[in-house]
Amino acid sequence: MIRSLIYSITFHSFIVLLTILSLPFMLREPIDLPPIISVELIQISDKTNISYAPKARKIIEEKKKEEERLVSEQAPPAAKAKEKPDRIPLPNEKKEEKQIVKKKQNPEEIKPQIRQSSEFEKKEIIDTNQIAALIDKAKEEQAVKEKAKQKITQSSQKNSFATGLTLSEEDALRAQIFGCWSVPLGLPYDEDLLVRIKLELKQDGTIMKSEILDHQRMNRPGQKFYKVLAESALRAVRLCQPLKVPPTGYDKWKNIQLNFNPTEMLKG
Amino acid sequence: MKKLIILLILKVLFIKNAFALIEVDITRGNLDPLPIAVSPLHVDIKSENIEGIKIKELGLNISSIVEKNFKATGLFNPLKKEAFVQKPDIAHLKPRFEDWRLIKAQALVTGKLLVKDGKLKVEFRLWDLAAAKEMTALAFTTTPSNWRRVAHIISDKIYERLTGEEGYFDTRIIYVAESGAKNQRVKKLAIMDQDGANTKYLTLGNELVLTPRFNPTSQMVTYMSYFRNMPRVYLLDIETGTQEVVGNFPGMTFAPRFSPDGKKIVMSFAKDGNSDIYTMDLDTRVVERITDHSSIDTSPSFSPDGKFIAFNSDRSGLQQIYVMRSDGSGVKRITFGDGIYGTPVWSPRGDLIAFTKMRKGRFYIGVMRIDGTGERLLTENYYQEAPSWSPNGRVLVFYRETKAGSKGEGFSAKLWSIDITGYNERRLNTETDASDPSWSSLLSK
Amino acid sequence: MILNKNLKNILLVVFATLILSACSTAKKSGNIEGDVYTGKETVKFLASGVPDRIFFATNKSSLTTAARETLRKQATYLRKNKSLNVTIEGHADERGTREYNLALGERRANAAKDYLMTYGISGKRISTISYGKEKPVNPASTPLAWSQNRRSVTVKVN
Repeated sequence: MIRSLIYSITFHSFIVLLTILSLPFMLREPIDLPPIISVELIQISDKTNISYAPKARKIIEEKKKEEERLVSEQAPPAAKAKEKPDRIPLPNEKKEEKQIVKKKQNPEEIKPQIRQSSEFEKKEIIDTNQIAALIDKAKEEQAVKEKAKQKITQSSQKNSFATGLTLSEEDALRAQIFGCWSVPLGLPYDEDLLVRIKLELKQDGTIMKSEILDHQRMNRPGQKFYKVLAESALRAVRLCQPLKVPPTGYDKWKNIQLNFNPTEMLKG
Repeated sequence: MKKLIILLILKVLFIKNAFALIEVDITRGNLDPLPIAVSPLHVDIKSENIEGIKIKELGLNISSIVEKNFKATGLFNPLKKEAFVQKPDIAHLKPRFEDWRLIKAQALVTGKLLVKDGKLKVEFRLWDLAAAKEMTALAFTTTPSNWRRVAHIISDKIYERLTGEEGYFDTRIIYVAESGAKNQRVKKLAIMDQDGANTKYLTLGNELVLTPRFNPTSQMVTYMSYFRNMPRVYLLDIETGTQEVVGNFPGMTFAPRFSPDGKKIVMSFAKDGNSDIYTMDLDTRVVERITDHSSIDTSPSFSPDGKFIAFNSDRSGLQQIYVMRSDGSGVKRITFGDGIYGTPVWSPRGDLIAFTKMRKGRFYIGVMRIDGTGERLLTENYYQEAPSWSPNGRVLVFYRETKAGSKGEGFSAKLWSIDITGYNERRLNTETDASDPSWSSLLSK
Repeated sequence: MILNKNLKNILLVVFATLILSACSTAKKSGNIEGDVYTGKETVKFLASGVPDRIFFATNKSSLTTAARETLRKQATYLRKNKSLNVTIEGHADERGTREYNLALGERRANAAKDYLMTYGISGKRISTISYGKEKPVNPASTPLAWSQNRRSVTVKVN
């Protein structure tokens, strides 16, 4: 168990290192090839992106970690869920009142809650680690899991320097949507469920058009889980409006595709 | 390597010419239960009065049951009614989506009801607040005294729409109600709604009764009774109250369960101290011996397609779980973990087997795949056993006993449920102590 | 790997000491030998000098020396009282699943019955019934109580 974990960690950090290093490294190598000059020219902007990215990433991750820590310190999710409705309309007193009443009503009910919360906390620890993992790592992980290895590496490369979003920008957007997306907890974890949504955005990040790429599947019989997932993804982007998009480069991110994949979460 | 580089270069060149569509993978979200607002059903002022039912409060009562059901799933977070921003009748026509979104609700349930000519007419809608559209709507008519079931059926429909999975609220649980001191327990058959309401006792407690199980239509129950000090398997029709001994066995029969088509009962029969598994066809009364081994073979459970039977046996020395074809051939041991395994129960979906595991003086409820791989222990305790599946295969109900003091004080037996994810463990409300639960199928199906 | 070996050794030592200490406590209490109850606390008598019950080890239905001795006394008593019929009740402790315990109680009752029959008591005079874990004689949740509950009891019918 531990050994395989160590393998996985070294393997992943290796991949992460590779992806970080590979870009400049690759640029250097093919210097003798004629068309490279133009490539180099393009790369310059990307290079700056990337050289900034590790720092930015670190900051973002730290922030995220902080946020997560805050969440788990404040209250384990089980309790948090209960507080949520209160939080908006009512002051603290009522919260406490409710909890006390609950204790009185049914002392035996508390135990499972405690247990549950600790379970959740456990989960959160894992999650923090996962978040701390680099984006590329997450992709590589998927690539290992799924067999479409090449495709995804390609798309990850596409993400990292083909798109107009820097990694930090992408992270910001991703983090925003993470927060809005209530993963349907009842979904089976062992099914291949991926929902791709294509968005057309306005300059302020609000959504002009949203389209589920495989929307016919929603109404096919036996695809209830897909439908549920698709609807939850749509809810997420709508609730997130306006999306956190960069202030510049509108025509780069005017059209954007979001791939919602809950497999990892549901497995955990 | 070179190929890859060239590929990359090509890619970059291509991108230079036209921006590729930005793709962002969303692999994480929040795991909080979905915030849902259940507006009280609007009660039509033209409603008649029915004795014994507070019609004015019926809308609120129905919505409260729906809320409780949702809360118990662990998947939904019903929001507090104090925060609701719209009157039930207006919300039911067309909710002001922005306002409901303000209280962080993602889904909204509205409805109305009318009692007329002695009939209860209920209509409800489920709204997707982010998309500002109706997700599902349904109306039905029933007798007013059935209002609790109405609430459960509404819960089932909404659950199905939001999770993609059948609900399990319009169901019952049959169990053994226990009372009295630990060494002089009085046990009665009892049946209740899944949420603990409407408890009815089916036997008087004069004789020991154990292990009741529903048939697939939930109208018949098979159980074991010590009536006249003859421990035998019985068959009880819940609707008519008639009961009979199953078969004409010259010794103890026990551990009964129905086949998935409801036509057979599979059980253990103990002859000269040796317990083997038998089936009896309820129409033809033909008895078939399924296992023939000098070990204890018991706790049989059919697979949902009826082709296999899982059971526990101590033929290897200690209690372990085995699977065989339903004719008794091809017996295969599936548990090899350290510990003792018992009470295998096949999930309604057919892909999992729930079980009890005993190890180092602790008891676990767990699930594994039907070949014994992928064991997941869901809950650990001093004593717990006898899992039974919810009809959608998502939740297990079982019973748990506490440690007793030197005079048997502090002993209790209660029903508990847990998701197959291992989350959301909770105690079921029963009027008395309880054990041996069996979950019915969906009644409204 | 070396670490593993060391760990194994340590565990072995710990295990051995545990076993030893377990033995010593069992001996001290004087009521449980190995896993089987040897005391007299719950025992009743069919007649003077004829105990009504025998005790078993966990998950076992084999007869101990003491159990055989008791059963021989019962057989002698039954041979003297030819008109007497008995029921042997088999019981299990609470630390097993209900259904398995029913089968186990049945097996224990029949182990006692078979032994009586080998001493010339007609099987027609002996009926058996299993109560599994349903009728504990000692309701406590202790190893002692469990050992007292793992029993088969010979009860006069007429």
